Amino acid sequence: MLKYSFSLLLLVASFLGNAQEVKVKDSIKPKTERYGLRFGVDLFKLTRSFYEKDYRGIELVGDFKLTRKHYIAAEIGTENKTVDDDRLNFTTKGTYLKAGFDFNGYENWLGMNNMLYVGMRYGFSSFSQTLNSYSIYNPNPYFGQAPEIQSGQKDNGLTAQWVEVLAGAKAEMFKNFYVGMSVRLNYLVSNKKPDGFDNLYIPGFNRTYDGKFGVGINYTVSYFVPIFKSEVKPKEGKKK
Amino acid sequence: MKKIFLLLFVFLLVGCEKDDICDANTPTTPRLVIEFYDFNASTETLKNVTNLGVIAPSFIEGIGFNGVNKIQVPLKITEDTTTLRFIQNGSDTNITNDNEDILKFNYSRNEVYISRACGFKTLFTLNTTSPIVPTEPFSSASSWIKNIVIVKANLENENEVHVKIFF
Repeated sequence: MLKYSFSLLLLVASFLGNAQEVKVKDSIKPKTERYGLRFGVDLFKLTRSFYEKDYRGIELVGDFKLTRKHYIAAEIGTENKTVDDDRLNFTTKGTYLKAGFDFNGYENWLGMNNMLYVGMRYGFSSFSQTLNSYSIYNPNPYFGQAPEIQSGQKDNGLTAQWVEVLAGAKAEMFKNFYVGMSVRLNYLVSNKKPDGFDNLYIPGFNRTYDGKFGVGINYTVSYFVPIFKSEVKPKEGKKK
Repeated sequence: MKKIFLLLFVFLLVGCEKDDICDANTPTTPRLVIEFYDFNASTETLKNVTNLGVIAPSFIEGIGFNGVNKIQVPLKITEDTTTLRFIQNGSDTNITNDNEDILKFNYSRNEVYISRACGFKTLFTLNTTSPIVPTEPFSSASSWIKNIVIVKANLENENEVHVKIFF
């Protein structure tokens, strides 16, 4: 095994040597691909926190380029949302983490890191839920409708896990500054519900529906921190 | 690429419409379901009521039933007792033929979550001791109700019979 590795190393070294030769002959600057960490913040949650009275949330995003097409990506966030429906009023508070990968389908010019991508995440959320008030549904109110009931029942230690598939784009607006957006379809894998109530909102997952599906969106601004450059080897066919 | 951004944004705004309407088929707060039987028959025989008026004391509006052997009456969801007047021939215009029996229902309540759209419902459980108390005994000649049998003490929906009244 060691023998093979060694000969493989020699082979790679000889290729590198070749590439060097080609470049020197052509006297062209080496073509490089930039790799690094891109981190940012979700503007959608941030702005909602200002204009929506019953919402506080923040999400930090990050991705790291593994290859020209593959990125590992993650989001971490916290949300505090009060939902005031016709018959229910409740507050959900909690934090979440999503981790996964993005696959870039956009052919970049060298050195650029724009993306049109699809990806997947695994999401985990830990939260609490307070039922503030509720009303009794009575289709035959002969004695009149009952007033709204103040509850205040709080359930801690609730958790949910889900899978997301997403599609999005990221574009460089200024040097190393990117704006992006993504739309997400979520599928609940596990959901620890409180006794006698339901998880109608899950931080990171958003609103729940009757089934297991949910949707999400984010608008990001992020900053790219170049960590290393790698030289792009010319393809065999293009060698002159 | 910017066009795609815009398109996705518009699509998402449209997708955020409110879709919360409580489906009428969802079992919510049930009424008490009463079935009427012939007291004089040797085997259990259903018997139709004629112009039965059900009304709460001090209420002006009541609920009328005619030619049916199964009725639904509401229970209070804010108290553990409900008193209702059951007036035979009460829902017709003639007041001379009225025969009134007053029943007091004693129960406990339990509030149960249904869904986002429907909220909560109240489920009732009739008390094991004196669930239904008449103001005059069934044996009295003026009482048109001769006997009451509890079939199902816990009221969960309206597709079940809770009480049988023999007359």
